[in-house]
This record gives sequence, structure tokens and C-alpha cells, in this order.
Amino acid sequence: MSEAEARLVCIACPKGCLLTVRKAASGTASAAASGTASAMVVEGNRCPKGEVYGREELIAPRRTVTASMRTDCGDHPCVPVRTDRPLARGMVRDLLRELYAGRVKLPVRLGDAVVRDWRGTGVCVVATRTLPPDQVPPVRQAGPEAEGDDQVPAAQ
Amino acid sequence: MAAALRLRGKGLSVSVVEREDYLGGILIQCIHNGFGLHRFRADLTGPEYASRFIGPLLEAGVDVHLDATVISIAAETDGTRAVTVCSSRCGVLRLEARAVVLAMGCRERNRGNIGIAGTRPAGVFTAGLAQRLVNIEGCLPGRRAVIVGSGDIGLIMARRLTLAGCEVLCVVEIQPYPSGIVRNIVQCLNDFSIPLHLGHVVTRIRGRERVEGVDVAPLAGGAPDAGRGFRLDCDTVLLSVGLVPENEISARAGVRINRATGGPYVDADHQTSVDGIYACGNVLHVHDLVDYVTEEAEACGDSVARRLGGAAAGSAQQRVAPGANVRYVVPNSWVPGRSNGFFLRSLVVKNDAELVVSIDGREAVSRRLSHVQPSEMIRLSLEAGELPAAREGQGNLMEVGIR
Repeated sequence: MSEAEARLVCIACPKGCLLTVRKAASGTASAAASGTASAMVVEGNRCPKGEVYGREELIAPRRTVTASMRTDCGDHPCVPVRTDRPLARGMVRDLLRELYAGRVKLPVRLGDAVVRDWRGTGVCVVATRTLPPDQVPPVRQAGPEAEGDDQVPAAQ
Repeated sequence: MAAALRLRGKGLSVSVVEREDYLGGILIQCIHNGFGLHRFRADLTGPEYASRFIGPLLEAGVDVHLDATVISIAAETDGTRAVTVCSSRCGVLRLEARAVVLAMGCRERNRGNIGIAGTRPAGVFTAGLAQRLVNIEGCLPGRRAVIVGSGDIGLIMARRLTLAGCEVLCVVEIQPYPSGIVRNIVQCLNDFSIPLHLGHVVTRIRGRERVEGVDVAPLAGGAPDAGRGFRLDCDTVLLSVGLVPENEISARAGVRINRATGGPYVDADHQTSVDGIYACGNVLHVHDLVDYVTEEAEACGDSVARRLGGAAAGSAQQRVAPGANVRYVVPNSWVPGRSNGFFLRSLVVKNDAELVVSIDGREAVSRRLSHVQPSEMIRLSLEAGELPAAREGQGNLMEVGIR
């Protein structure tokens, strides 16, 4: 990064704080405190997440990836998945290509890993939905029918 | 689900009627993350957020009717409500209830509502339908798409289609500012270099059997300027042009609808103009954050439990109305002497704004808002002590305005 200063919108939460990120002047407390990898000063954030996001976005941007994978099951053709932690932004396209081409065998529970330690990054891809969904218990019998001939059948 | 869980927690018997064959509503097709940051302090996808309620609901002894559609709500002579339900699983059911909570969410405005001229080829979808096709059915709606409307759904789908391998040519927005939240502009458009044409409209859809292209023009003086228009070749048009609270059943049951929200007028207990019928969530007004939907639903569930438990109602409630630069405030009543919570929307875009609460024209509360825009709903929480006591013989009308 060669710009003196970058302005960006934080995406860590829906508030979208407008951040200003610039290199800390060497010899200052922030340069010393943050070490070689992140001598950056972030301003405009309304919470600590913004500071982390601002620094990372300029040095090594990462993204949480969400997608859906095919199941070859007629009733539930897709299972939604996500990375369990953010992935380097440059690798996102490759991961997506693999996910959209891949298959998951049902049943699967929310949180099950469908891909482990993808390309040695330590990032796992997990299911975000239980499929088939947990069964809904049968509804209790309807109460005594007060009216005449057209009886409403009890719920199954 | 949140309202049902609150009611069940108070020992009341609850039935949930759901038209799909799964629980979770629209969250199930919202496979992106960003949900639950307030409610659970976690960054969840839609299905994960829904699962936080589905599990407890199934264990709580709530009767769940799936594949079931309510076709009418009628008043019985004994003061209960008869809800008629059609279900492919059990034919016709009649549920007798002491209270009904409306939580049907929204449907989408479509091409007919906004009247885009041209031919009527296949390939024109509302963004939510496209989202369902991609994320639940596993189909792509097309290969080259133009998206009409920069609301959050349109932005999310611009990204989702791109991630799924489609080419998204641009997003066309009629207003001079984007409708969706800034965060989505950044992570859905900027991240993928998808152009956003503000102050533009699609004037024509072309194609015989399938969409072949669209004509786009900038607005000048409120009308499309064809001279400066351009043509785009595409095979898919996604419409993200507004959500409409789904109140067909509500209106037929006699519930008064607020034109500013598209949803029912409700009092401080979330009860509509019809006794025993309550409303919460997107059917009441279109929300931005599901966390607030849950909060509103839980307040509604608590109120229903209180009223069914015999708590006194109406006489203490006073009117609430939108003030200057405010499109709407929900609920439409406030109760002096206790805390009151509201959701509202600004009519204007402004930095360093001030939210002002007046009672009968006298300022009572003022809050600084660093930024307001119509697409970002405002949550207002007022403590009992912040507002004056009710005055005998006065209107006690509360107005919430922005300046």
C-alpha cells in the first residue's frame, strides 16, 4: 500500500462507519505498539472491530464466504454453507468455484464441516442449515367439534 | 417464532401456521451473513439465525402447521377468533384462538406495479424470487443480469449472482441516492466493481421469448431523458423495487391499514384496530435488521400474554404521530408512566440531525443522530421519566420529528 491515507467503509456491522486509515509515523507509540505488520492508525470507527477491519483491509483483506452446495436430493437440492472464519480475499473466487461445483451428501446438521482446512489455510466450510429439517411433532388432536355434520378432520 | 416462544414461555398454548413446508420464513433463503450482530453478538447467516428459534420452538410444545395457509380470520360471538386454515396435509382446519398475531412478512413489488414498458419475455424476476431459485432450488435465473433498484435485496443478489458465476452488468436506481445500507453498497457492488447508475430508470425491456436487453435512461426533471439513454444486452432482469407488507387477510378481517407503512395501525401493545388481533415484524412495517424484528415480536408476545392475563388496556394510551421529516412511527400509541419503544423512518438524508419528541407541541426529548436516511430505520427507546405525565383533558399527542 503506497497511499498516504485511505478512506473506506467498515463492513464489520451494519452501522458502516467511515474509516480513515493511514500509516503511523515511525517512532510514535502506535508504530511501536503494533509492530511491523500493522503500523496503521485507524480513525472514524465507533467500536474496536472497526480498528481491526481498517488495518486488515489495507494489509491483508479477508472475507467470510457464504454459498450453497448441491445435494443431489430432490426434496432439498441445496444446503447453505459458510466459511467458519474469514478467508484471504484473493482466494475467494477459487473457493466459490469449488463450492458451487461440489456436492454434499445428506443428512447434514448445522455446523457440520463439509470442507476441512481448505488448501491449508485453516479455513473450514460448514453447513448453516440442518437438512432434512428436524421433524415437526404431530399436532395434538383437535378439541371436540361443536357443530353439525361437516366435521373438520383432526390435525395429523 | 419469537412471539410464539414468548407466549409459550408464559404458559399459553400456541399454534403457528406457516405456508412453506419449513420453518424460518425468508431467513432460510438469506444465506449471507450479517444477521444477529445485535441480538446474539454473532455474525450469523439467515438460516443460522432462524435455527436459534426453530430448535426451541420444536421443543416448547408449540403446535406447528406447515404447508398451511390462513384464508380467513373471523370474530366469534364468544369473543374468540376463528382462523380458517387450508393445508395439503390435513384439508381444512379451524383454529379457535383468544388472540391472533399477524407475522406474515412482505411480498415484493413487481413489474406490473412499476409499469416497465416493452415486451413481456421470460427472464424478469423479482430479486427475492431469484434469491429463492439460487439459494434453495439451486438454479441460476440467467447469465447476464441487470438489477433494477438498489435496495438491500437487489444489492445482495448482485453479489450472489456474481459469486454464482453470472455477469451482473449494473444496478439501476431511480433515486439520486442508494436505497440499501452503505455496508451493502461496499461489500456487494464496490467489491465486485458493479456500476451503480443513480437517478436512472429502465425504460424498456426488449426480447421476444427471452429477455434480450434493456433500455436505461437518466432522469432529467423527473422524466426519462431518452436522448442520453443507452441500451444494455442482457438475458435477465431482477427487480428490487420495494416490499409490501402482506395484509390481504388483515384487511379482510377489518384491520385498519396505515398507508405510510403498508401495515396495520397498532397501539402500544401491538394490537390492531380489531380486538384480539396483533401484528409484528415485516407485516407491520418493513424492517432492515432481523434483530429488531425479533425485539418487536417479543414485545408483541409479552403484550398479548399481559392482555390475555387480564391486564387493563386502552384508556391509558395516547396517540403518536410522525412529526416533521418523519415518514412513520410504530406503534401509534404511547403509555405515560412507563418506558416506550418505537421504530421510525426519516423522510430525509441528513448528517448531524436531531430527533425531537414533542407532547402537545412542547419539546420533551431531543437526541442527536449523526446520520439519518430513509433506508435506515431508527430505534427510539424512551424511559418513563423522560416523558411528562399525562395531562387531564389534553390530547397528550406525541410527535416524533427530525430536524
